[in-house]
Amino acid sequence: MKLVLPRKSSGGSAGFLALYALLCLFSLAVLWSVTEGLHGSYQEVAPVVSKTVFWRQVVWILLGWTALLTAMRLPLHLLEESAPLLFGLTLAVLALVLVAAPEVAGSRRWFALGPVRIQPSEPAKIMLILMLARVLGRSAPGDQRLLPLAGSALLMMAPLALVLKEPDLGTSLVFLAIWLGIVFWYGLSWVVLLCTASPLLSAGFSFYSERILMGQPWPWAVYLLVLLAALSVARFRLLESILLLLVNIASGIGTSVFWAGLKGYQQARILSFFQPEKYPQGAGYQAIQSKIAIGSGGVFGTQYLQGTQKGLAFLPERHTDFIFSVVGEELGLVGAAALLAIFLTLILKGVTVATKARRPFNALLAIGVVTYFTFHVVVNISITTGLMPVTGLPLPFMSYGGSNFLVSSFMLGLLINVGSRSFES
Amino acid sequence: MVDQPRIQPMIFRGVVVLAFGVILANLFYMQVIKREEFRAQATGNVEVETRVRAPRGNITDRDGAVLADNVFRSSVVLQRGCLTDAGPDSTLTMLMEWFGLDPESTLERLARQKAAGRPQLTLVSDAGMAQIALVRENARRLPGVSVDAKPWRRYPRGPLFAHLIGYTGEVTAEEVERFRDLDPEFPRYLSGDTIGREGLEATLEDTLRGRDGLHVREVDALGVEVGQSRLVSRELIPGHDVRLTLSAALQESLSVAMAGRPGCAVALELPTGDVLAAVSLPTYDANLFTRGISLEDWESLRNDPEHPLLNRLVQATYPPASPYKIVTSLCALSHGVATPGTSLDPCFGGYRFGNRVFRCWKLSGHGYLNHAGALVHSCDVFYYQVVQLLDLEALKRTALLLGLGQRTGVPLRGEAAGIVPDSAWYDERYGKGRWTRGVLLNNSIGQGEILVTPLQMAVLTARVALGDAALQPRLVADDGPPPPPVPLPFKASDLNWVRDTMHQVVDMGTGTRAQLEAVDVSGKTGTAQNPHGEDHAWFVCFAPSSDPQVAMAVILEHAGHGGAVAAPVAASWLADYFEWRERGEVRP
Repeated sequence: MKLVLPRKSSGGSAGFLALYALLCLFSLAVLWSVTEGLHGSYQEVAPVVSKTVFWRQVVWILLGWTALLTAMRLPLHLLEESAPLLFGLTLAVLALVLVAAPEVAGSRRWFALGPVRIQPSEPAKIMLILMLARVLGRSAPGDQRLLPLAGSALLMMAPLALVLKEPDLGTSLVFLAIWLGIVFWYGLSWVVLLCTASPLLSAGFSFYSERILMGQPWPWAVYLLVLLAALSVARFRLLESILLLLVNIASGIGTSVFWAGLKGYQQARILSFFQPEKYPQGAGYQAIQSKIAIGSGGVFGTQYLQGTQKGLAFLPERHTDFIFSVVGEELGLVGAAALLAIFLTLILKGVTVATKARRPFNALLAIGVVTYFTFHVVVNISITTGLMPVTGLPLPFMSYGGSNFLVSSFMLGLLINVGSRSFES
Repeated sequence: MVDQPRIQPMIFRGVVVLAFGVILANLFYMQVIKREEFRAQATGNVEVETRVRAPRGNITDRDGAVLADNVFRSSVVLQRGCLTDAGPDSTLTMLMEWFGLDPESTLERLARQKAAGRPQLTLVSDAGMAQIALVRENARRLPGVSVDAKPWRRYPRGPLFAHLIGYTGEVTAEEVERFRDLDPEFPRYLSGDTIGREGLEATLEDTLRGRDGLHVREVDALGVEVGQSRLVSRELIPGHDVRLTLSAALQESLSVAMAGRPGCAVALELPTGDVLAAVSLPTYDANLFTRGISLEDWESLRNDPEHPLLNRLVQATYPPASPYKIVTSLCALSHGVATPGTSLDPCFGGYRFGNRVFRCWKLSGHGYLNHAGALVHSCDVFYYQVVQLLDLEALKRTALLLGLGQRTGVPLRGEAAGIVPDSAWYDERYGKGRWTRGVLLNNSIGQGEILVTPLQMAVLTARVALGDAALQPRLVADDGPPPPPVPLPFKASDLNWVRDTMHQVVDMGTGTRAQLEAVDVSGKTGTAQNPHGEDHAWFVCFAPSSDPQVAMAVILEHAGHGGAVAAPVAASWLADYFEWRERGEVRP
C-alpha cells in the first residue's frame, strides 16, 4: 500500500488554511462577547453594539473564504500582465471617491452600494502590491541608482496622496510600508533606502527642532551633515546628490513654515496626536481606556464575556479597530499571546514563501502581502497597547468590517498561490 | 533571486520577531507587573472636574423692566468621536432613529460643527422633555451622549432694542484659543459658550459675563456620579445685571411715532444726558442671532436695501442741514460779526458768489430779514453772507464745542465721528488751492461735506439748551453721576437769544407742527439735500423752553421737509413724555 502524502508543491497551503480558520473562529468568539454586553455588577447595562454586527461578520467570513479560494487559483502571470490596468483603474476610483463619495464627519472614504459600504482604499493595497511587484520584478535587481527606485516611489505616492486627501492617515501609511517592504526585498542597500526616505526624515527632524526644542535648529543641522556624509559614501551621480540635498532642505524648511502658518488650535490637534496623554479627550481617551482594559485583564483575563471596560463609557471602535483590547481584557496575557502566536506563524510562513518563490514577481508579491499583514498587526496592537499614537487601522481577520476582511482574505489567497508555485520553473 | 544567499529574509524575520517581542514584553508589563494599577483604574472611582457656567447678567430698563435675560434650554450633545462611526449599529444611528431625525441632513449638520472645531456636537439644540428623558434613562447605553442644560439669551422686546442691546452668539474656535493664550489655567471661554457680539452685549461683555466656577465630583468607572459631596475648586461669580437709562415705555412711544419709516430718533434727559429712548429703523429681531441665525435670514438682513443691521443712531452720518445754522449763528455772535439785529442784503431766492449762484430753499425769497428772522424762517441767503465774515476754523471750533466732529463715547460699536471740515481738511481732500471759499457758504447752512450722527445732533441741542459743554449721552444708569457741567464759552445773552429764537421757530416759524398745548417747545427744522433721492427731514428740539428737561433729534430718510414730517414725530413723543410725567408714570 502506498501512503498518499500531500504534494510538496502545496507550499504549506494546509497550514495557511488552518491559521485562517483559527483567526475566523477567534474573531467570531470575540465579536460575540462584544455584542453580548456587560454582566455581573453591571448587569443592567444593555449591549451598545448590536448582535447584527456578529451575524454580518459571519456573512463576511463566508464571502472571505470565497475570495481566498479564488485568489489561490488565479493564474499569477495574468495578474502581472493586467497590473497596470488594475492600478490605473484603482487610481481613477480613488480620485472618484474624493469627488463623489458622501462626506461623513469631514472625510470621504467609501461608496454605499445598498446596505454595503465599499471602501476603495482597501483593494488599492492589493493593486499597489501587484504594480510594484511587476515594475521592480522586471528591472535588474541590485541597481544602486536612485532613479528606478524613485519611479516606484512615485507609483506609491499616487494612491498615498489620494487616500491622505480623504483624509485617512492610517491607510496611507500602509502604502508607504508596503513600498518599503517590497523595495527592501528587491535588494537595495540601506544607504539608498535611507536616502530615499530622507526628505521625510528631514521633515521629522525639522519638526522636532522647531517644536520640542523651541526653535533650536541643531538636530536638523546635524541630520543634514549626516546626510551629506551618507551621500559622499554612496556613489550617486553628482546631479542626483545635489537634487536629494535640495529636496531635504526644502522639506525641512517647508515643515517649519507650514507649522508657523497653523493656528493655535490646529497645532494643538497635531500635538495631541503625538502626546495623547496630555489631551485626555477624543483619541487620547480611547487610548487610555484601551490600556486600562488590557492591563486589568491580567494573565488569564476577566474571563470570556466578563470584561467591564469593553462596554465602558467610550470605546466606539471596540468591535473594529480596538478589538484587541477586548481580547486583552477578557482572555488576558494567555489569549493575547495565543493570538500573537497565530499572527507570527502566519507572517514567518509568508517570509518563507517569499524566499522560496521562483520568479521575482512572485517573490515581491509575496513579500508585499507579508508586509501588509505585519504592518497592520504590529501597528494595530501597538496602538491598542498605547505604544503608538491612535490612527484608524483594523486588525486583519479580527476587526469587524467587510472591505478589510475580503481584502485580507484575497491577499492571503495570493500568498498561498505563490507558495504553491514554489517549485514551478 | 534564490540563487545567491540573501540577507533580506534574515533581517525581515529578525525585525518581525523583534516587533512581536516588544509587543509581548509590553503586554507582560501591563498585564502582570502593572495589573493592579490598571485594575484599580478600571473599577475605581475618579475625580472629575466640571465647569459650572456663570449666568450672564440681565439687562433692564431704568424702571427694571427686563430687556435681556436667560432661559434654560437643554440640548443633546455628542462627543466628537461618535461621528467617526455612523454605521448601522452606532449610538448615533440609534439616536437619530429614536428622535426621528433625517440621517443625511443630521450627519451633514454634525460634520459642519466638527469642521468648525467644536469638541462637542449638538444633535438636538432645543430638546423636549421626552427626548431628555430618553437620554437620561438610557444614559448607560449611550456612551458619550449627554444632555447639556445651557442658558440661552432671550430678548423679550427683540426688535425694539436690537440696535442698542445688540445680541450674543457662540464663541468661535479662534476666540476660545485667543482667550486661552491669555489665561491657560482658567480659559475664559470654552467652546459652546456665549459671547456678546453687538451693541451693549458686546461692549459690556466683561460686566455681564461673570466668571465660571469649577466643581469636582467623584465618578465610577462607568462615569456615573457617586457620593454627594461636591468640592469647589474655584468659586463661581455670576454676571452683573446692568440697568440702562432707557425706558421701555418711552422707547415704544418713540417707535410708534416713527411709524416704521427709515430713520432715527433719540431723546436725552436733561441735565443728565441719560438716553431715554433711541430708535433706529428699520430694525431686526435680536432673538434671531442667539440660537445661530440661519443663512437665509442673515442674507436677507444683510442684503436689505434699507440696511436694518445699521445702527443709525451712531453708525449713520447725514448732513446736518438747517439745524447747523445754530452753530453758524453762535459763531457769528461770539466773534462779534453779527448781533441779533443785524440785517444784510435781502433774500430774493438766491445769492451770487463769484460766478456761482447759491440758492435759498425758498425760491421766491424771504425779502428783508434780520438775524433773528433768518434763523426763525431758515433763510439761507442771510447765512451765505454772514459766514463770509468768518472762516472755516472758527465754524469748526464752535461745532466741536457743541459736540460735532467727535465720537460721543457711548458704549456702542462702530460709532462714527462725523466730519466737520476745516481748511486743512479741504487741502487734503481737493489739494491746496484747488477749492474755493464757496465751500464756506455750503458749510454755513450745514450742507456740503459736513456729516453728523443723529446722536451728535441731540447732544448739540442739549448743550445749547443747558449751556453745558460737558454734557454727554449716557446709556448705563449705574455709571455714577454725570460729569459736572462746564459752561459753554458764549455770552449768556447770546445763548438766550438762540434759545428764544428756537422757541419762535416752533411758535411761528418752520417748526409749528411741533407745538404742544401743555409745554413750550424750542426747535429747529432741517431738510438735508440728498443727491441720491428725496431729501432727509431733520428736527431737533428741547422742552420745556424755559426749563429744558429733554432734548431730541429726529431724522427721517427721504421723507421731505423737516417741519412737515420730523417735527410731528418729536411732538408725539414729547406729548406722551410730559403726560406720563404729569401722571407720575415716568420718573426723572
